[in-house]
Amino acid sequence: MSIMEIIGSFLVIVGSIFLFLGALGIYRMPDLYSRLQAGTKATTLGAMSVILGVGFWEPDWFLKLLVLVVFIGYSNPLSSHAMARAMFKKKIFPWTKEGGVDAYKEVIEPTGEKQES
Amino acid sequence: MKKYIVLGLLAVLGYYLMSIFLLVDFGLPHFAHGVKDVYLSSSKNILKVSNAVTAIVVNFRGFDTLGEVTVLFLSATAMSGILYKKRHDIGERSILFPASSIIRSGAKMLFPSITLLGIYVFIHGHLSPGGGFQGGTIIATGFLLMLLTYQNYSVSHNRLVWVESVAGMLFVIIGLAGYFMKGSFLENVLPVGELNDLFSGGVIGIIYVLVGFKVAAELIGIIYTILHEKG
Repeated sequence: MSIMEIIGSFLVIVGSIFLFLGALGIYRMPDLYSRLQAGTKATTLGAMSVILGVGFWEPDWFLKLLVLVVFIGYSNPLSSHAMARAMFKKKIFPWTKEGGVDAYKEVIEPTGEKQES
Repeated sequence: MKKYIVLGLLAVLGYYLMSIFLLVDFGLPHFAHGVKDVYLSSSKNILKVSNAVTAIVVNFRGFDTLGEVTVLFLSATAMSGILYKKRHDIGERSILFPASSIIRSGAKMLFPSITLLGIYVFIHGHLSPGGGFQGGTIIATGFLLMLLTYQNYSVSHNRLVWVESVAGMLFVIIGLAGYFMKGSFLENVLPVGELNDLFSGGVIGIIYVLVGFKVAAELIGIIYTILHEKG
């Protein structure tokens, strides 16, 4: 096993751990915002890492896979931003513990009307 | 009176379908092998196409694909007929709030790469999974992104119709060229090249590019019509 293959396997394993944690987060998290964070942040890193790991295994594909990594790197945060913004605009409140701080609710609820931001 | 005419036409159609089905030897041992071996070997050896599904869809069953594209065209036309209350008098795009600047600049970066991916998918339809329908759909999603992001982004309906018509006509012309030069509709008239080359498979690549343009234009038209539906 060459050094490239060891690096590749390590990256693939790290990536799959992050993908698993992302899936677990979507299952376990209490509200949409934290689910979104688990579903995009963790899977962005996971997918990038898996793809780069494959690139170390097959050096011929490295350039193509690098393009994929760049694509994931700017499309995944973009979609999560769009979804989070849409949820915010539709007045979906973040989950808090009893007596927790929710600045968004404090802005919205006194008037009960839609706030322009 | 009309009922009897319809019944008579159905009877004639049924008679001919029946006679065709009687020609097929259902249940006989040679039917158990089917046509799969012929398709697989001739798509690899005669047409030199590595994606056998594409060879079947575009060449051996090319006439059906023409029908599918026509069905898509008809459904797009019917949809715009239903949704346009008055022609050329389209409503405002229904939008809750404008997209943020992050989405605006991100969509500008994403749109070329989505279009490039779509073009790649339909150009390599005969080499890899995918093809005209898939590539056209990917291109349409790129336009959907732009239409959702930019409120005043518009697609020229006339240009879409033009692209669609030219692509459809070229499809039929290629088919007729096969009919006049080789004797059957959509027969391959171009040199087949080498297996796994980009320029292989004769007319299959060209037809899939045309199908890609046609599907993309139709789906963009549908999306545009839905977004401008009058409330």
